[in-house]
This record gives sequence, structure tokens and C-alpha cells, in this order.
Amino acid sequence: MTDKDFQFTRRQSLKFFGAAGLTAMASSFLGVGAAQAKAAPKGQIIVGFSQEPTVFNPHLLHIEVDEGVYFAIFDPLIDVDPKGNFYPLLAKEVPTVENGGISADGLTYKLKLRDDVKWHDGKPFTAEDVKFTLELLVKPEFKSWRRTGHDLVRDLTVVSPTEITWRMEHAFAPYNAILASTFIVPKHAFEGTDPNNAPFNNAPIGTGAYKWKERVPGDHIELAANTDYFGDGPYLERVVIKYIPDVTVLYTQLKTGDIDVLALQWITPDNFQEAKTLPDRVVEVFGGPFVETLSLNLMKPVFQDRAVREALYYAVDKKTIIDTLYYGVPRPTETYMPHESYYYNDKLPVQEYNLDKAREILDKAGWAAGSDGIRAKDGVRLSFTCSTTSGNHLREQAQQFLQQSFREIGVDMQIGNLPPAVMWGDHWMLSQFDMAVAGIGFLTGPDPDTSDYFLSTSVAAKGGNGQNTFVYQNPELDALLKKGGAVVSPEERRPIYLNIQEIVRRDLPFLPIFQYANIRGYKTGIHGVEANINNRIDTWNVRSWRWS
Amino acid sequence: MARFLIGRLWQSIVLLLLVSLIGFMVLNLAPGGPLSQFALTPGMTKEALDRIAEQMGLNRPLPVQYLDWLWKLVRGDWGKSFRDNRPVLDVIGSHLFATLLLMGASTLLSMLVGAWIGIRSAVRRGSLFDYSMTVLCFVALSVPTFWIGLVAIFLFSLRLGWLPAGNMYTVGDGSVRDILIHLVMPTCVLALVNVATWARYMRTATLEVINQDFVRTAHAKGLAPRRILMKHIVGNALLPMITLAGMQLPTLLGGALVTETVFTWPGMGRLFLDSLGYNDYPVVMGLLMFSAILVLAGNLIADLLVAFVDPRIRLE
Amino acid sequence: MTATPTPITRRRRFLDNRAVRRFMNNPLALIGLFMVVGLTAACFLGPLLLPFDELYIDLRARFAPPLTGAHIFGTDPLGRDIAARLFHAGQVSMAVGFLAMAISTVIGTVIGLVAGFRGGWTGTILMRLVDAFLSFPSVFLLLTLAAFIKPSPAMITLIIAVTSWMEVARIVDTEVKSVREREFIAAARMLGLSNSWIMFREILPNVLGPIVVAATLTVARSILMEAYISFLGYGIQPPLPSWGNMLNSAQQYLAAAPWLAIVPGVAITVAVTGFNFIGDGLRDALDVRSHNG
Repeated sequence: MTDKDFQFTRRQSLKFFGAAGLTAMASSFLGVGAAQAKAAPKGQIIVGFSQEPTVFNPHLLHIEVDEGVYFAIFDPLIDVDPKGNFYPLLAKEVPTVENGGISADGLTYKLKLRDDVKWHDGKPFTAEDVKFTLELLVKPEFKSWRRTGHDLVRDLTVVSPTEITWRMEHAFAPYNAILASTFIVPKHAFEGTDPNNAPFNNAPIGTGAYKWKERVPGDHIELAANTDYFGDGPYLERVVIKYIPDVTVLYTQLKTGDIDVLALQWITPDNFQEAKTLPDRVVEVFGGPFVETLSLNLMKPVFQDRAVREALYYAVDKKTIIDTLYYGVPRPTETYMPHESYYYNDKLPVQEYNLDKAREILDKAGWAAGSDGIRAKDGVRLSFTCSTTSGNHLREQAQQFLQQSFREIGVDMQIGNLPPAVMWGDHWMLSQFDMAVAGIGFLTGPDPDTSDYFLSTSVAAKGGNGQNTFVYQNPELDALLKKGGAVVSPEERRPIYLNIQEIVRRDLPFLPIFQYANIRGYKTGIHGVEANINNRIDTWNVRSWRWS
Repeated sequence: MARFLIGRLWQSIVLLLLVSLIGFMVLNLAPGGPLSQFALTPGMTKEALDRIAEQMGLNRPLPVQYLDWLWKLVRGDWGKSFRDNRPVLDVIGSHLFATLLLMGASTLLSMLVGAWIGIRSAVRRGSLFDYSMTVLCFVALSVPTFWIGLVAIFLFSLRLGWLPAGNMYTVGDGSVRDILIHLVMPTCVLALVNVATWARYMRTATLEVINQDFVRTAHAKGLAPRRILMKHIVGNALLPMITLAGMQLPTLLGGALVTETVFTWPGMGRLFLDSLGYNDYPVVMGLLMFSAILVLAGNLIADLLVAFVDPRIRLE
Repeated sequence: MTATPTPITRRRRFLDNRAVRRFMNNPLALIGLFMVVGLTAACFLGPLLLPFDELYIDLRARFAPPLTGAHIFGTDPLGRDIAARLFHAGQVSMAVGFLAMAISTVIGTVIGLVAGFRGGWTGTILMRLVDAFLSFPSVFLLLTLAAFIKPSPAMITLIIAVTSWMEVARIVDTEVKSVREREFIAAARMLGLSNSWIMFREILPNVLGPIVVAATLTVARSILMEAYISFLGYGIQPPLPSWGNMLNSAQQYLAAAPWLAIVPGVAITVAVTGFNFIGDGLRDALDVRSHNG
């Protein structure tokens, strides 16, 4: 993302030309030259995804790939750049304690909005739309994809078309990060309809740089330039989001030039070496927010002993897994926090692959080998099943490799992979698995809060509300998480989260393997494609993409 | 005729009921559910998923859900896709053309090639051609479709670079020529299995014709062998071929499913796999029903055609 | 056969001899027999001759092309010997094929017998059930089942069996109907023999021919089906190899390591072709009317 100054100059130029609707025309008359002036959009970019976006109301229950469309069509109030800094989009400025947007106690929010924004259908964007959006998210009958944070909002008040205020039930530091992925939708598009079935859901209207044009289900989505866009861009006449259901074919199509940008599910690591040598293609590795874990279910007797978890971790040959099976693409990690984060703890002890050490720990803890070579203690056999989504080849390879390593320290691991519907249903949510290979994105945007995953009260298997499927319950950690969530200033929060990472590394409710790294490829000559660890989709800044 | 139609209709309805019951039971008695794919969404909770399941009516007793689904189906409402909330029939409809195109092209190809091989084999019974074709047909029936697809992609796309490895058209092109080029490999692969069936069938049918008295008589009268043969074969073998075409529908649909996967062809087969992967139960159910209807209708049309072509056959 | 020597059994023995002769005179059937026996022998004896364990992972030796050292068929992405895996996979796939055949033949035979013998409402209902199963593409049903049930070899076998018994049921039903009215059955009835005695001791031996033919073809079909669902990722799960799941990840490495796809594909084709040849030979030998061409 270019910096905020640029945004500012753009706004000035818009004012200079008066009505926003005239801008595009005016700038094309004035010609290019000045960086601020908006050139007529030209050309098209075809983005290839290996999953199909199907949910176009950004607040309905959706999956990652659906967000690929949202960033083109909608804008949030504020957004996050790759460094984790917020910058305003529909809001005039990012609410902070310093600028008075958030009160010192973190309870009151006051937001000024842009006055030069129009919906794609020409109607003006106002504070009413913001109010509607925030209310829609917590509406009981709405199939909302996220209530966390929004359910704390009280007394939403539209002060003027460009100003809105609300109060939080209690201070909640991650809320800015949540706002950064909360796309504002137009109130008028939902009037008199059931929001679950509104026509809007299949023909979205936004404020974003691209307008919805058409969708050919199972094939592609076409977006057209919104020449009235208030911010940077758009530079392209058209963006086509092409669905290609097979990663191999996706890669082939980048090679042949059928797609311009290969995004979500990216280039598989085994093709990385070859991809780097392709002429006229830019191939880059960038960190993703997900962490590959061997998630352990601490409810199971085998994993209740920390010695077992520690010994297993010693028996994981991370280097070989990453270097050989994943071709050295992802980055080994000791924590759930992405390396790119301000809150990342780089002082954590580094795991070592040492089978003797593993055996020693197990011996010391009293796990003695039985006649079949498998250890046991107090009648509990050191045997468990490792599951993940069936059909994920690299994971299946890693599993089989681990199986062999674990066997060498007298641990019996069975592989029992499941179809996705079964794997991530009650099996995962209600902690019925033993060990699971899961890629988990612990964070919401750039915010370090992980209460959903680590709080004792977040265990769904015990009636809690959250994703603590490890059934990891540690009062010390609970206290720290509560403390970290109530402090707003990043400087004050940092030491708390460094501490949390130390505790999690010690307790090992999951064995961290690596932080995801994705390999994106695009044609030379495309500018603006940039990685952003804080947004989970490649097209987060599609508004700025352009051909040279 | 009317009695026949009513009887068939009644039978078909019973069949469809059975199909729907089996499909519904399989989908709903298995663990997991349509919402499990959202489990890994950051910030998702079991409670939130339960609430949505409640809103979608997934918590109701299964018989109630089934009857509700059935009652809506009877009134023409096939339900809505969980994925994009479009009516199931629309979803199927938008994938129908691709599948019909593929199935049509491959049926045409396999019938023509199969008929040629079959007739030639019969006429030259016991020749090297006959013998090698018999063997080849067996092999063709035994090769996994997807594997031939993979080998074809390896040869013609990766090694030789002659044909595209997948998809129905190049993005941004989509002209007839473009689609035809993309159609070549999947059609040939899908046709392969059926060529064998057709060829074996035509061989038997032709042999029967050859051995019949009137052919010998015609031959004795001095008519050109080829003309006699063609005339009578077309007359006699065509009827059962229509029936056979009807009977082959399920195989063809199943084959299309696998072929579409290998060649990422945007048809019903791929829709089915996608829907299974995303637990889009309404679409899965819709596709099961739709394919059953397609097969039933195919068979019925085949029977009617036979009766139409040959007035001696009475439908009962 | 231990039944009391009746004219029926005597006639069957005669048929058997003629059938064997006819079978042995059919070159394709012999080739099929040779293929199947050869492949089975390779699958069970091969592992004894190979210096590799089918599960041993050696990442230093991954993606070795065929004929690298002692790896005659090369190695897979985890450096396991493909020949060793292929033979073990063969045991698994053929076991699945045979067991699925056995189960589906039993189901099909019982249903066909009951439907054909009883006739009336029972028969109609059972045969409508057969139609129901036949009226949608079995791959659809197979995948629906496999996608929602925890995959294990036993489960996969069962699923394949459950979706492939209809052919046999239909054949048996037709045959039974034609046998039912014959004299010896009437004689048996007059002797006051029970229905099940008549069904299993008198009628069944007479429809054995078509059943054997159908069963042979079902083995071929089951091996193919296992390959299909494992290829699509819903079948037998690693580390247990099967011909289908060896192909599952092959698509990804098609350009770099085509042997991953070619070796198991050829094995499947050989096995299925073999069974089809035998089935066809048996059909001729046992003089079974050809169904559906």
C-alpha cells in the first residue's frame, strides 16, 4: 500500500474537482503526469483461485476465498497494511485514543466518515449504512459470520451523515482489527427484505474500486472498474476472478498465460523450483497468517502428561519435513504468532530433533516399552490416531513420515484421515480427535488476542464458547489473556503477549510445525500485488493493481 | 399406450422416492454436517454454528426435514444451495450444458466409431481386425477412465503441447473453435469405454442380420452386399441401439463425473464433487434426483422411440 | 457337491466337463487366466523377493525414476519403493475386489432368488429396489457414501458391494423365473420340501452358471470402483497402499514423475482386463445368454 499521504492528496484533488462523479472524466481530460490524477482504467487481470467464491454478502457465513471478492467490491471503515498499521478507508481517520476516536477507557468510539463516497448504484454513503452494518452482524435471525466484538457494541448513534458514535460493553482491544475486516454494506439494498435472502446477496453493491458485473457459476466472476471510486485506483477496466478447481491445472494455466495472477491455494511447493525459472513471471514466497500444528487433545489420557507432548515434539524432524516435503518454502516456528507480527516472540526455545532425548524423557516419566515395543504407563498405551482432511497430499506425506519417527521412540501413531465434513464437524469442534494436523489462523487481522483458542472457558467440548479444541486450561494464561484484551496501547500489550507465547511453548497444547508460506505467481508487468499477513486474501489491495 | 405411460410414471415415482430416501439417509445419518467447513474460520464458535444450524432448520428431527424437503420438491421447490443460496435447479441448470455437450459429443463419437468397428468386425469375422478389435474393446472396458485421462494429459498437453490440459474454454475467449479444442480430449476419453460397448453390440447385431434368410436371399438376387447389409443392419440393429443408448445413461453420467474431474470440465460431475466437498446437501440431493430423473426419462424416451420406429412393438 | 445324485446334478457334471473344455479352447479366456494368476502370484510372492519394505520411508531416495538401482519401478514422493507398494497394493485391491464380489454376489443371489421364487408383491418390491439402485450412476452413490463414512478397507469393500449387487439380483431373478416352473421343481414341491430347501438346493445349482459369470465381472468392476473412489480421495487411506490411492497423488506429479501414474494404472488395467477375459470365457463356456450385449 502506498502511504497515507497519498490518500490525503487524493482526497484534496477530489475536492478540487467538486463532484466525485466528474473525477474520472476530468482526470482523463487532464491527462496523466501528476501522480494524483486518475488515469482511465485500462486492461484486465485474470486472478485464478482454486476454490470458488460463492457468498457475496460479506457478513454471511463464508470461507476465506469469498473474501477475494469483498475487497474489490466493498470497503471497510479502516484497513490494515502489511506492517500491521491501520489506515482509513471509509472513515476519515483511524480511531485511536490519541485522536479522540476512542475514549481513554476504551469504551466510547467516535468516528468521522468520508463525505465523498457513493455506492455503485449512485446513492450516497452515510453513517446510516455503518449503523445498519454493525446492527446486521448481531441480528439474531441473520446467519452472521462473526458476532465477536460486534456483540459488545451498544447505543449506536448517527450524529450526522458523516459521524457515528457508540459505546462498548467493556473495553475490547481487538475491535479495530475486527473493524478492518468488516465491510460496510448499503442499508437501502436490504430494505424490505430478509437479509439472509436479499437479492443483494447475489448482486452485491459496494463502494469499492470494482463493481459487480456478472457471475458464471462454477467458472468465473467479472468485476468492472468503478470510475467514481474515492480512493486509489481502479487502474483496470476489468478484474476476472477465475475458478480453477485443481491446483495443478491452476499452475499450468499460469505457465500458459491463461491467468495473470495465481492466488489462493497458490503454487504448490513442489512446483516452486520450476516456477522460479518461468520467463516473464514473478514468483514470490510470502508468509501467511496460518500455523501448521499437530493439535493435541488434552482430554485424552495419553496427552495429559506433558512429558509425552514434549517427547513427541523432540521426535518431530521439522527440518526434513519442511526442507524435503515442503521444499523449504514454509518457515519453522515455535509459536502461533506470525513472524511478521509486532507481538512475535523471537526468544522462544528452538525445537530440536533428538530421538534419544525423546526416549529419555519418556523413560524418566515412566512410560516403559511393552512386548510390542510400544510404551505404556498405568495401563495407558502410548498409541493414538492422527487425523486430518483426507486428500491433502503433503499432509498425508508428513503424517506418514511422522508415523515412522514416532515408532522409533516407541509411540504408535495410526493415521485416520476423514472427509472434510466429518473432520471439521464435531470431531474437531467437540474435541473428539486424538491428534489432528490443522492449519490454524489464531489471530484476527493484526490483533494478538487469542482468547477464542486458549481461554479455559472457550472449550466447546465442555460447554464453552470458542475454539479451544485442545481443551487447554491454564488459569495463569486465562488471567494474562484477560489483561491483554483490556489494554489498548500496543506498547503495553506487547510484554503480555510475549509472556503468553512462552507459556504456550512450554505447555505445548499443540506442536507448532511451521508458519504457512504461500507462493504466488503473476505476470511480469503487473504492479501493486503485495503480500499482507494481516489480511487472509491476496486481493486485499486489488484496487491498486495495474499493468505497467 | 396411455396405460403404459401411467404404469411407467407410477413406477418412476416409486423409484424416485426410494432414491431420495436412500440419498437423504446417507447424507444425514453420517457425522459432521454442512456447517463443519466453517469450523476453522477465525473466531468461529460452536455456539455460533449451532445457532445457524437452528436457523437453517438443521436441528429438526430427520423425518420432519425429509418430509419438508419432499413436500417442497413436489411443489417444484428443489431448495436452495447452502453455498450461494441460489435455487438448486438454477445451480444444476448452469452446469447442465457443459455435461450435455460432453455426453452428446462422446455418445456421437462412440456410436459412430463403435458402429464402424462392430460392422467391420462382423463382416470380416475371424480376421485379424476382428480379433484385435475384440481384444482392444476388452482393454478399453477395463481401463480406468481417469487414468486414460491422466495419460492423455501427460502425452498431449505436457509432452506434446497439442491440446489444453483442462477446462472448457480459455478465459476471455470462449469461441466455438476454442470450446471444440477443449472438448477433444475429454470427449475421446469418455467415448473410449462406450466405443467398446457399441462395437461389441453392433458386431452381434450385424452377425444376426448376416445370418438371416432374407439377407441371403437378397444376396442371391444379386444385390450389392454392402447395400443389403447397410439397409438391413440399419433397419434391424437400430432399434436395440436406441434402447442401449437409454440403458447406458447411468454409466455415461458416472463416466462424465470422473472425466470432468480429470479435465476440470465445468459440468454436473464436478458440481457434484464440489457440493460433496462443501457439504452442500440440497445440491447433492438435487443432483441425485436429477440424474435419476434423467436416467428414467432416457429409458422412457428410448422405449417410446422404439415403439415409434417399429409399429410392431406394442407398449404394455 | 454332496447332494443326493439326482438327474440334475448328473447333468451338471456333464456340463461342467464340456464347459471346462470350452473354456480351455478359448485363447482370450486363457490369456485372462494367465494375467490374473500371474498378477496374483506377483502380488503375493513379489514382496518376498524385493529388498524393500512397502512402508519404509527414505526421503533421500524420493522420486527415483524406474530402474534406479534396485528400485525397478522407481520410488514415490516419500522414497518408498513403488514395486513393493504395487504388490502390497495389489493384495489390498484384489482383496477388496474379491470380498466385494463375495458380499454383493450373496446379497444379489439371495434377493434374486427370493424375488424370482416368491414372485408377487415381494418380487415386485425387491425388483423395484434393484431398479432404484440401478437408476442412478453408481459412482454418485458410491461417492456420497464414501464422503460421509469413515473410510477403512472394510467399509470401502462394503460400500462397493452395496452398490454392485443389482446386476446379479436381476440375472438370478430372471433365471429363477425360467427354472421355477420346470418339472423337477414341481416334483420337489410335491415331495413337500421346504421353500428354502427348494430355493437353495434345487434352484440355486441351476442358476450357478450365470452367477459365476456375473461374479467374475463383479471382481473386475469392484477393482475399478476401488480405484475410482481412492483416486477421488474418498477411498483407502494411506499408509495402506491400494492401486487406487497410489494414483491419487499421481496427478500432481504427472509432469515430474509420470511413472507414479503409469505403473499402478497398468496394474489395474491388467487385472481388470484379465477378469473380464475370464468372465467372457466363462460366459461362452457355460453357455450363459448374454445380457445387455
